Amino acid sequence: MENIEEVISKLAQDSVTLNPAPHPFMITLKWTVLAAGYILLSLIISGVRPDIMIKLNEPWFVAEITILTGTFIATALSAALLSFPDIHQMRRLAFFPVIPFALFVLILFLAWHADSQPAPLPVHSFECTISIILFSMLPAVWTFFEMRKFASTHYHWGGSIALLSAFSVGALWLRLHEENDSIMHVVQWHYLPMLAIGILGLWLGKVMLKW
Amino acid sequence: MADQIDNFEALMRQSLSGDQKTYTHLLRETSRFLRPFLAQRLNFTGEVDDLLQEILISIHKARHTYDGNRPYKPWAFAIARFRLSDHLRSHYADHLREAIDFDELEESLPKPVTETAVSYESIKEEVEKLPVKQASILRLMHHEGFTSKEVADKMGMTVTAVKVAAHRAYKILRSKLET
Repeated sequence: MENIEEVISKLAQDSVTLNPAPHPFMITLKWTVLAAGYILLSLIISGVRPDIMIKLNEPWFVAEITILTGTFIATALSAALLSFPDIHQMRRLAFFPVIPFALFVLILFLAWHADSQPAPLPVHSFECTISIILFSMLPAVWTFFEMRKFASTHYHWGGSIALLSAFSVGALWLRLHEENDSIMHVVQWHYLPMLAIGILGLWLGKVMLKW
Repeated sequence: MADQIDNFEALMRQSLSGDQKTYTHLLRETSRFLRPFLAQRLNFTGEVDDLLQEILISIHKARHTYDGNRPYKPWAFAIARFRLSDHLRSHYADHLREAIDFDELEESLPKPVTETAVSYESIKEEVEKLPVKQASILRLMHHEGFTSKEVADKMGMTVTAVKVAAHRAYKILRSKLET
């Protein structure tokens, strides 16, 4: 290989004026606005669940939707931070999704407890998982495309968090679209597949985010 | 320029605005503080130089992810650590591949020398002259009859490391016995 001085002078010759990447908070804001627009547009096309006004008066449903939105924002922020080699020197914030995830599990548990007369299971099952995955494709592609513009040194985690973020967009859309009150069904076919998606993201991150 | 040496953040800000002279200076200073970091973790000077060049190229490619508003060194070290672990991973993966090749080689050997033509007892003296670890491995495998996995457990090594050490010992013994 060449010596260090030669490499340095070649790199310096290659150096041009460059705009620094936006702050991770701005990236998160951009992703959040885009996701909100995507969900809104999709709900206009696919339709909002007919009982939405009744459901919005149910505290557990509101809590679930709120915390799912929080999960999306936290994972988007974490993915944005993990796109930077030094996690923008905000390492603790990158672990922030742990809090909404824990709250999410707690809320689902309490909602299941409060469901003393369990709502009937819907006739369909895995179709929900498929719908969420299909709906999440676009946000996933978008997030990976955006993350590739930077330089992640934590591509496994970055990939996993990016997929969880995209999947939470899909899960949010389906809860607002599908008329379904069975908490068991929601846990089994909406949220548990999230774990598998997170594991898949570890591998996908390595493929997509390596530089 | 000398009084700017410690202010890497300002140097990077200037570099991002296209100042090639400052950028050269920044990269030179970066390589100066990264070299000891790499030298502590790698054995050979050539290896340090090669990796240092890779890190400088990576810093160049990722320079847009640095805005000049946070400390520069943690950012540069994050890239250096990333490239170092990549380098070490591929280095050990190469060793592992060699070990797998050895497995195949071992299977293709016509007969185990210690069981037929050459017994352990007949080459015991030569075995004892080997480095302690290699001698212990051969003794456990060919005198006491342990498998490579059992030897690995006993000696607190990986199976691959045991096989590689045994392979090296066979090579030494073979060359000694052939002369």
